[in-house]
Amino acid sequence: MGLGFIVGVLGVSILAHAAYSTVQFRGLLKIMEEEFSNPPMNVVIELLLGLVLCMWAALIVPGKFLSIHPDSDENRMVSLPGNLDFMIFNHRAKVFRSEIDMKLKL
Amino acid sequence: MVTKTEETQLNRLENQVDNGGGGAWEYLCLVKKLKVRRPDKVLRHGLSILNDPKKRSALGPDVWTLYEQVSIAAMDCQCLDVAKDCIKVLQKQFPESKRVGRLEGILLEAKGLWAEAEKAYSSLLEDNPLDPVLHKRRVAIAKAQGNFPTAIEWLNKYLETFMADHDAWRELAEIYVSLQMYKQAAFCYEELILSQPTVPLYHLAYADVLYTLGGVENILLAKKYYASAIDLTGGKNTKALFGICLCSSAIAQLTKGRNKEDKESPELQSLAAAALEKDYKQRAPAKLLLLTSALKSLKTS
Repeated sequence: MGLGFIVGVLGVSILAHAAYSTVQFRGLLKIMEEEFSNPPMNVVIELLLGLVLCMWAALIVPGKFLSIHPDSDENRMVSLPGNLDFMIFNHRAKVFRSEIDMKLKL
Repeated sequence: MVTKTEETQLNRLENQVDNGGGGAWEYLCLVKKLKVRRPDKVLRHGLSILNDPKKRSALGPDVWTLYEQVSIAAMDCQCLDVAKDCIKVLQKQFPESKRVGRLEGILLEAKGLWAEAEKAYSSLLEDNPLDPVLHKRRVAIAKAQGNFPTAIEWLNKYLETFMADHDAWRELAEIYVSLQMYKQAAFCYEELILSQPTVPLYHLAYADVLYTLGGVENILLAKKYYASAIDLTGGKNTKALFGICLCSSAIAQLTKGRNKEDKESPELQSLAAAALEKDYKQRAPAKLLLLTSALKSLKTS
């Protein structure tokens, strides 16, 4: 969590910095009266780096991935629950009393 | 529904608790969440928590659900005194509660006083005619007395109102199977598969019923459902694999005289047999010989 979060913050700040750089670059172009075709190379690299970091953090921080396969251990049913709403009590416990001799202390 | 991970977690916790390793409360919570029936263990570990004032006060308001859980477990173990004491405590805390009234009805059932229990439930139903648990308890009373036609009648009436209750459908299916009314049971399992298509155990039960009904068409259909159960479990269900083998040999036997060429996927049986052999080799090598001879007799017959 800690590392992923820090990386995420770093990635977002790098993206913000890239945006700021682009704005500044456009301001510079306006002064020099040139056409804006594409941002400078270092901003593009910065953008890509920020993207990678943000993506990595977004995959790590929110939690683990859950399996969607029906046959994975997390999703595979192995037994149905005892149908407790319909439970009936005339079974062998009547004859074989349990050895638990505990009482509820009031 | 109990998945594989939850099952292993439950077994681990059970082992830990039984060997005095602590974690009794977590175990009881898991038992309750998974709705498994472990009355003796719930009774023992639940009472050990309830009898310890320090542990009991640490639970806060959860202690009341624990009292309920322990009282039902005690009835299941026929320790009626403990159950009565638990209910008394609950009654003191919640004097007007319907839930406690229900517990009292269940206690009457555990004592075998059917008429009194019935009366208690009817009076509770007057206040709240749409309480599903009360209706289910009435079915259980009829079932406990061995009065299956009445139980079926109640259940059908209940299912008319609460059609989405798959537990009730399952109960009805199981009653029908126990009475060998397989056609009706098949209908219930169809309903269950419709409402929860991803549960392999319903596919398996439906296939079992179809196979028991017999006839080429039913067995062909049973084979398909065994196959879908294998699909949903990734081939880890031994019963479904055996089902494929049995269905294939039954179909071969039934269609022997006819030279109808409706052989669909003839390799399915050998694939299932291979999977079974692999599974047995891994988990029960001592029984491998038994399996191979059984499979051989299926093939030759």
